[in-house]
Amino acid sequence: MLCRINLAASGMEVLEAEDGTNGIELARKERPDLILLDVMMPGIDGWEVARRLARDEETSDIPIVFLTARVGLEDRQLGEQVGGVGYVVKPFDPVEIGRVIESVLTRLERGEREQLRREMTHGPEERT
Amino acid sequence: MTQSVNTESLSLEELSDAYERANRFHRVTEHLAGALTPQQVLDVILTEGLRAAEARAGAIGLVTDDGKAIELLAQSGYRGDVFEKYGRFSVDADLPMSHVARTGEPLFLESRAERNKLFPTLEGQGENGHAIAVLPLALEGRLLGVIALSFGENMSFSEERRRMKVTLARQAAQALERARLYAAEQTARQRLAFMAEASELLSSSLDYEQTLKQVAQLAVPRLADWCAIDMVMPNGEIQRLAVAHEDPEKVRWAYELQERYPPDPDDPHGVAQVIRSGQPEFFPDLPEELLEELIGDDDELRRIVDELGLRASICVPLSARGRTLGALTLIAAEKHPVFDQADFELAVELARRAGIAVDNSRLFQEAEKGANAARALAYVADGVVLLDRAGFVRHWNPAVALIMGVDEEEALGLRVEAVVPAWDSLSSHVPLVRPGEAIGRPVTVPMVAQGRELWVSASGVDFGEGTVYALRDVTDERALEKTRSDFVATASHELRTPLAAIYGAVRTLRREDLELSAEDNATFLEIMEAESLRLAQIVDQILVAGQIDADAVDFDLETCDPVELAEGVLESAALHLPDGISLHIDKKGTRPIICDANKLRQVLVNLVDNAIKYSPEGGDVEIRLDAHNGECLIQIADEGLGIPSSERERIFEKFYRLDPHQTRGVGGTGLGLYICRELVERMNGRLEVESEPGKGSRFTVRLPAGV
Repeated sequence: MLCRINLAASGMEVLEAEDGTNGIELARKERPDLILLDVMMPGIDGWEVARRLARDEETSDIPIVFLTARVGLEDRQLGEQVGGVGYVVKPFDPVEIGRVIESVLTRLERGEREQLRREMTHGPEERT
Repeated sequence: MTQSVNTESLSLEELSDAYERANRFHRVTEHLAGALTPQQVLDVILTEGLRAAEARAGAIGLVTDDGKAIELLAQSGYRGDVFEKYGRFSVDADLPMSHVARTGEPLFLESRAERNKLFPTLEGQGENGHAIAVLPLALEGRLLGVIALSFGENMSFSEERRRMKVTLARQAAQALERARLYAAEQTARQRLAFMAEASELLSSSLDYEQTLKQVAQLAVPRLADWCAIDMVMPNGEIQRLAVAHEDPEKVRWAYELQERYPPDPDDPHGVAQVIRSGQPEFFPDLPEELLEELIGDDDELRRIVDELGLRASICVPLSARGRTLGALTLIAAEKHPVFDQADFELAVELARRAGIAVDNSRLFQEAEKGANAARALAYVADGVVLLDRAGFVRHWNPAVALIMGVDEEEALGLRVEAVVPAWDSLSSHVPLVRPGEAIGRPVTVPMVAQGRELWVSASGVDFGEGTVYALRDVTDERALEKTRSDFVATASHELRTPLAAIYGAVRTLRREDLELSAEDNATFLEIMEAESLRLAQIVDQILVAGQIDADAVDFDLETCDPVELAEGVLESAALHLPDGISLHIDKKGTRPIICDANKLRQVLVNLVDNAIKYSPEGGDVEIRLDAHNGECLIQIADEGLGIPSSERERIFEKFYRLDPHQTRGVGGTGLGLYICRELVERMNGRLEVESEPGKGSRFTVRLPAGV
């Protein structure tokens, strides 16, 4: 809700899914430019959602930014393994989220996807 | 009376004289027989003996032990300065007594002229006396000494007179020898008695300091005028343990002296030297030079030494098992005769026995100390391991046996790596300190002992002959510590999540570049309200858990209606029920219960919330009320995730969370069920759980039924 309103305010079109299963369904149908994926969800968690999206040809190319409260190296490595290009650490300032997602999208357009992925585990600590 | 007198050739007067002489001679014999000590013998010879011999003066000298000199022991009738002149003179001297000592034959000089002829050096010297008779004091060919008799006039020594004097000398020699033997026997007896008494003292107590003081006391004045005992202290210093003298005033003075002139461990003589070398030092006569050397230029010391009147000293080491423990010093000063070989041997024997007694006492004390230490270590909760230099286990207390799972009997005498294979990796983390150094913080190390994973807090001291390790099993503490730090992480996360939501909502509402619909505005306010409530609940739970820990929760037990309570809880839950969840109540049997209504409500709210939270896919949540056997049952059942059997008891532990990483998106402090069970138990009830993973869980509250 917070994300939706604030991302919309940055001029993005935002689609919401209430859990992992619906999220995968929505991704296959709508093919968004980017998925902001909460790791902690009821039912299947964010990591599993990412894995399923990566296995599906329809969705494997969609970049994922994880929304997570945990920033340990293991979590970041896991995020990279399941195809993430970045993460936003909870709690975050919802007003800033639009700017963060915009910058990721800009860099993806410049073809820096691999670099973003490397930064998941090696890059600057702060991403919010 | 053995001599025969030829009466026929003598005049009556001569006969009477001879009779007189025989009588006097007889008296000498009688008196000699009664003389017990050498001094008494000398007295008899110089009184009755002189009278019988019709001599004016007499002197008795004894040949010294080395046979080289004659020592004048007693005289009568000579001038007072005779001792100064002839107190001790050589057997080779040109003197009548020396002459007799050399020849062993009696010497009769009937006139001064005759003396001067034989001993020209004596011309112009000596008394006014004229004739002298010098007789050997001999026994079975052994020369004891010489007796000299002087007469006031020139004498013609008749055969009879000569024979009588020779006989007198022989009887004197016999009496002297007998008295000497008697005195020696007396001394030996005294020594034996002393040694028996001293030995008894030494073995009477293990307090060797006390017994040695008593031994020193016993030694004076029997053995010496002074007796001192010095001990070597553990730091190498020499400490005077005892000084004994008959006069306590003198003892005080001796201690003062000791303080003013403390013994230097490098002293070339005396106690220090004896302790250093382990060899006794015996001065039968203290040589003047030695005293001079000791005194040096110290006038004060000279005065003291003069006052002491030191004449002879014996200093012997107290030793045992090759170690010198101290020294025993005997001093002859103002009263006691100078020491002889027997005194020395007695001192050596006394010191030997004292040394053994000290050693025994110290060994016993050490053994006792060791036994006490072992006793203490047996009750210490920390594990204590003593390893010798080679790494063999020498001590293994019960606590370490428990930690490592190896009994003392199995561990003792083995290499520690054989007892605990992981020892190397453990000890490599423990910095060893030296005795006296500050012991660093114990190191907490993980290890495996008998297949058990442990956290061990360890510290070690290297004391040269080995190493002592102190170990503590901190596995539980560490687990608790971890739970605690997990709690801090969890609690802070739990607090941050609602805070972040509230903060995010406020930030968004305040965005000036954003036009929010009335609907969105209302949603944000709802979020803020709900998250504030959640925040308050979490803080409440933390506070309640704290109160339970401090046993500071008050219970107001009364009769309550469980139906009313359960319905109230379900009504509240229905207000914010997620999609897919339905709530029911089943009143099989109901009875009033005894409880604190507010606390029970808290428990039921928590259990219903959990049931909903852990049913992410929806399902029924039901409260069933039942009663039997004086108990009231309140069951909360769901069709949710369920609880794996391994976790079923742990969920009631404080801070324990079924899903600590919250990957299932179920939040909580890990305190809810802990609080529930604590509250129910404090209301005399029980809280139990049954569950089938994937099919749901059922929590049962049992409380006593009311009337």
